[in-house]
Amino acid sequence: MRSDFTDFLRAVRGPLGAIALTMALGFLLVASISDEPVLAYRELLFANFDSLSNFALFLNRATPLVLIAVGITFAFRAGVFNVGGEGQLFAGAIATTVFSIVFSGLPAIVLFPLAIAAGILGGALLGWIPGVLKVRLGVDEVVVTFMLNTIALLFTSYLVNQVIRDTTAYGAVSWMVPEKIWLPTIPGIPGATSGFIIAAVLSLASWVVLFRTKWGAEVRAAGTNLRYAEAVGIAAGGRVIWAMLIAGGFAGLAGALYVLGIGHRFEQNFSPEYGLVALTCALLARIHPAAALFTSLYYAMMLNGAAYMQISTEVPRSLVDLLTGLLVLLMTARFTLRRRSGQTSGAF
Amino acid sequence: MTTDENILVLKGIAKRFGDKVALEHVDLQVRRGEVHVLCGENGAGKSTLMNILVGIHSPDGGQIILDGKGVTIADPLIASALGIGMVHQHFTLVPSMSVAENLFLGRHIRRYGIFSDRRAMNERARELIDNYKFALDPEARVSTLSVGQRQRVEILKALAFEAKLLILDEPTAVLTPPEVDELLKVIASLRERGRTVVFITHKLREVKAVSDRVTVLRQGRSISTHITTDVSEEDIARDMVGRDVFLTGREGQPERSFGGAVLELDNVTITNSAGRLILDSIDLEVRAGEVLGIAGVDGNGQTELAEAIAGLMPIQAGSIRLAGDDITADTVAERQAAGLGFVPEDRLDRGLSSDMSIAENMAATNYERYGVLRKGYVDRGRLNAFTEDGIKRFDIRGAKPKIPVGTLSGGNMQKVVLAREFARDPKVLLISQPTRGLDIGASEFVYSQVLSAADKGNGVLLISSELSEIFALSDRIAVIYSGRIMQVLERNEADEETVGILMNGGKRQVA
Ligand SMILES: Nc1ncnc2c1ncn2[C@@H]1O[C@H](COP(=O)(O)OP(=O)(O)O)[C@@H](O)[C@H]1O
Ligand SMILES: [Mg+2]
Repeated sequence: MRSDFTDFLRAVRGPLGAIALTMALGFLLVASISDEPVLAYRELLFANFDSLSNFALFLNRATPLVLIAVGITFAFRAGVFNVGGEGQLFAGAIATTVFSIVFSGLPAIVLFPLAIAAGILGGALLGWIPGVLKVRLGVDEVVVTFMLNTIALLFTSYLVNQVIRDTTAYGAVSWMVPEKIWLPTIPGIPGATSGFIIAAVLSLASWVVLFRTKWGAEVRAAGTNLRYAEAVGIAAGGRVIWAMLIAGGFAGLAGALYVLGIGHRFEQNFSPEYGLVALTCALLARIHPAAALFTSLYYAMMLNGAAYMQISTEVPRSLVDLLTGLLVLLMTARFTLRRRSGQTSGAF
Repeated sequence: MTTDENILVLKGIAKRFGDKVALEHVDLQVRRGEVHVLCGENGAGKSTLMNILVGIHSPDGGQIILDGKGVTIADPLIASALGIGMVHQHFTLVPSMSVAENLFLGRHIRRYGIFSDRRAMNERARELIDNYKFALDPEARVSTLSVGQRQRVEILKALAFEAKLLILDEPTAVLTPPEVDELLKVIASLRERGRTVVFITHKLREVKAVSDRVTVLRQGRSISTHITTDVSEEDIARDMVGRDVFLTGREGQPERSFGGAVLELDNVTITNSAGRLILDSIDLEVRAGEVLGIAGVDGNGQTELAEAIAGLMPIQAGSIRLAGDDITADTVAERQAAGLGFVPEDRLDRGLSSDMSIAENMAATNYERYGVLRKGYVDRGRLNAFTEDGIKRFDIRGAKPKIPVGTLSGGNMQKVVLAREFARDPKVLLISQPTRGLDIGASEFVYSQVLSAADKGNGVLLISSELSEIFALSDRIAVIYSGRIMQVLERNEADEETVGILMNGGKRQVA
């Protein structure tokens, strides 16, 4: 167990260093454009913790990121470059919404799990399509997942505008889902969805599944060398498809939990590109589900913090995009340095 | 121009990487116009020494004297200006580009100083190719070339710099035997043109075939330099390993006796999607305790035969039986459970996942058998213990359970594959090209493992394109040619000439 912990430390040491360096460089940048760099940075980093309500918003922002990012680690570990998080998220959100509205008469105890399941299935379906196409026909998954994003966005837009639109509300939003199946908030933190707890638990569970089970080893074998996986008797294609079902399912669950816990309806513009941001989170976490929990929290902090910063100071929120770019650069630089010296972190 | 007979003299070259001493003290003299073989076990420091010569590494000590003058080679550009060209152990070509584009990579011929002049480059490339009589198409994409052809492109690339000293770092490790023969001819023709060649290999046959002199390196020291014709293979091997080595296997030993058939192939047939016969009604039988060697030039169906038996390639007709049970329709995993062990021909392709840990590679087919799984979870303690045990029994150097298997040397990677497959004590061991790219010490170890598997009463199907290996290990020898088994010979009735003729499709002459 001790060595597990040191492994974990070793895995997070690099990303933490890169984050620290990014923040330091970012501070120099802010200092050069703003008279109040300390205030700006304080807002960026700590405004999230100023009040319970800010903290709740922070957790709500993190929840979909964590789930999608963890899902993506399954896909990447299976060798599928899944950029379809956004589409899978939308599929999950719309499936949960439609199901909840159509079957709103069912008792909560039945409707709640089915609504969640609908979201998971919606996302999983969008993960399954590129998975099967890749395994059976060798179709490039990047193209397919990318196209499915557009399809999901347009299709949900059609549904929310034409079919389930709340005609009493302003903007492209659906009818509310029945209040009886709303997710409770986290006790003591008003407004914070308990979906976050689910996401955090699933992130740790995914670590165990990917790195402590034979199934996880088989997924990673298929992802790192498909021909090897076949030769040691792994049904490699099946593993890849399952990993994509899980990736889609996680993103679908993110959509479901957003609808039931945060939005309480489908809103066409509910996602500030969660799918794309989660992709970055997963990569920064070096495709490790537990580390993805932390990178997602970091991103949620930055996304919300940037808004507070912009309100209090002159510094534009797009600073965050710049910091993101810098961070990605530093992480990749670190990657190649390690590769040069001949060691990679293959196993933990 | 000096008239010094040595083009290159190295004195006391030393190089350390951190704490690791790669080169302790190397002296080397290369005569003008000779083919000089540098041989030594993996890790002896051959590549490091040559990388110093082309300016990739700088030495910690010692002198480099080129054409009688002391030189410092600070970077690769200086090396090529000095006329030293090198073909590296690992390919450096861009697969998506054409042969000509690769040859002129970074120094395209330009029209009006801007546009790449494709036609001029193709013409120059063709001249170069014709000049050296390499059968290559300058416009072919490198990704469509065979390994041997790619190597010729690498050699041309080095020569296009007008190199007078050409270094070839283990060029034969990746080649099939016919390709090796071609390369040896190329080297001989370069010598005729007055080029000096330093050729790195650890295969004794190649040393004897092509070199004028041979220098042996061991653990970072130059051990000996001999005129090739004055030294025996045994002496070179002893200098390389530091002790006497035995690669003779069962040669000269008495007849052995065997049990019943453990692997039976009956009329096994494979046709490819174009309808061409890849395997043509193969009938084979391996008995308990026996090593059946499949000899043949690469590409005559050996790969498909192995894949068919392992369950990785469907067969169109025929049946395969393992220990009496029909496994024709079984999956890979079912065949393994039934007692099949499989060592694939290419360890980096089917044998291992180089990014995953040694432990996970070694456990891949053994999770259930060694209690590595407990209540569905991988028990890390047991996984490590299982791996440490394999590392110890197979003497896998530089191995720890958690490090990626890809960081090991080729020989040690092969031992990981063997450790995994032998852990199940398979009734039938299917082993392909088991010593390809391995040095003598590691080959000796693999031989002893194969023989001991047979001694325990298991059947071994050995597929190899190295005739010496087939003869050292096999009890019977089947020769494959163009997807057909030409003949199956008892060891005592087989000789290299007969097998060689059969391997090329010839009829066996009846005396
Ligand atoms: N860049 C490097 N960093 C650290 N050690 C190295 C490096 N290159 C080679 N070595 C070590 O130096 C020794 C000699 O390696 P090398 O020259 O590649 O041997 P050879 O080519 O004879 O097989 C080996 O032990 C190898 O591990
Ligand atoms: Mg080398």
